[in-house]
Amino acid sequence: MPDLLAEEMATELDSDLAEAQADGVSATEILGESDPRRFAANWAGERGLVSEPRPPKRRRRIWLWIVVALFLVLFATWLALQAVGSGSATSGPSVEVTPPRRVSVPNVIGMKACRAVRTVAHSGVDDWRVIGHQHGYTCDLVVVGQSPAGPAGHREAAARPELDARSARRRRHRRSRRGLRRPTPANARAAARDRAEPR
Amino acid sequence: MRRMASESRRSQMLRGVLDLCLLAVVVDEPAYGYEMTRRLRERGLSTVGEGSIYPLLGRLEREGLVATHREASDGGPPRKYYSASPSGRRALAEGVRAWRDVRGEVDSVLATIEAEVA
Repeated sequence: MPDLLAEEMATELDSDLAEAQADGVSATEILGESDPRRFAANWAGERGLVSEPRPPKRRRRIWLWIVVALFLVLFATWLALQAVGSGSATSGPSVEVTPPRRVSVPNVIGMKACRAVRTVAHSGVDDWRVIGHQHGYTCDLVVVGQSPAGPAGHREAAARPELDARSARRRRHRRSRRGLRRPTPANARAAARDRAEPR
Repeated sequence: MRRMASESRRSQMLRGVLDLCLLAVVVDEPAYGYEMTRRLRERGLSTVGEGSIYPLLGRLEREGLVATHREASDGGPPRKYYSASPSGRRALAEGVRAWRDVRGEVDSVLATIEAEVA
């Protein structure tokens, strides 16, 4: 602040204070309870003689920037996690979930156990069991029930098929009625002789 | 506590119109700082001081609303006299018009409250 202006302000104030004191008015009533330095700085600042001090930074703006930065960090983290999650599907260890395989279970009711088992296995079923015979079954057992039931056609089932094979009276093939013989060496010679000798 | 709040409110109210009051006391005849305080007191504004007149005069001078000149005083250093400039007179007229509008609006609101209290 130029000394000339400072001296001018001081002279003005001195004159007024002197006249006020002559009137019985104290300097405190004229200038108030404010600090003299602050009063002088305020006066000079209002006159434009000194640069005004920078206003204190608003703390509110700092908090606002902190909140904005935190939001941006969280958003970037979320984007990164999304990118990693989509990329992990094509690389690295992953857990594959095998959907249940659907196969067609044939109708094997009436079949002998061995043939029924082969038929079921050939249909693509790799897990089956014959109930009632935990210790094994014999081939001459006839399947009298299955679960799930197979219709005339095939029925899809995701459950493990169960075959109820029970012993049944063996049908005696009347091979003699049908002209069928049990294949034995003697029967084979007899069949050859019959073909050779017309009746 | 209540007195302090009342004085604070009064101070805030005066802060908005004190520049108009200073222009009003120098529009007809120039005056120096202490004399302006005396004129305000004579016109009914007694609670002016507190170091607010001099900085306000500095702002009015900076904004060109008052003009200053020096006159020799009786047995003392020359005094700095303030007078209303043409722009100061216009600002005073506009300020008085605005003050009367605000005063009327505030009175209409506060008048209702006073009636209820009474």
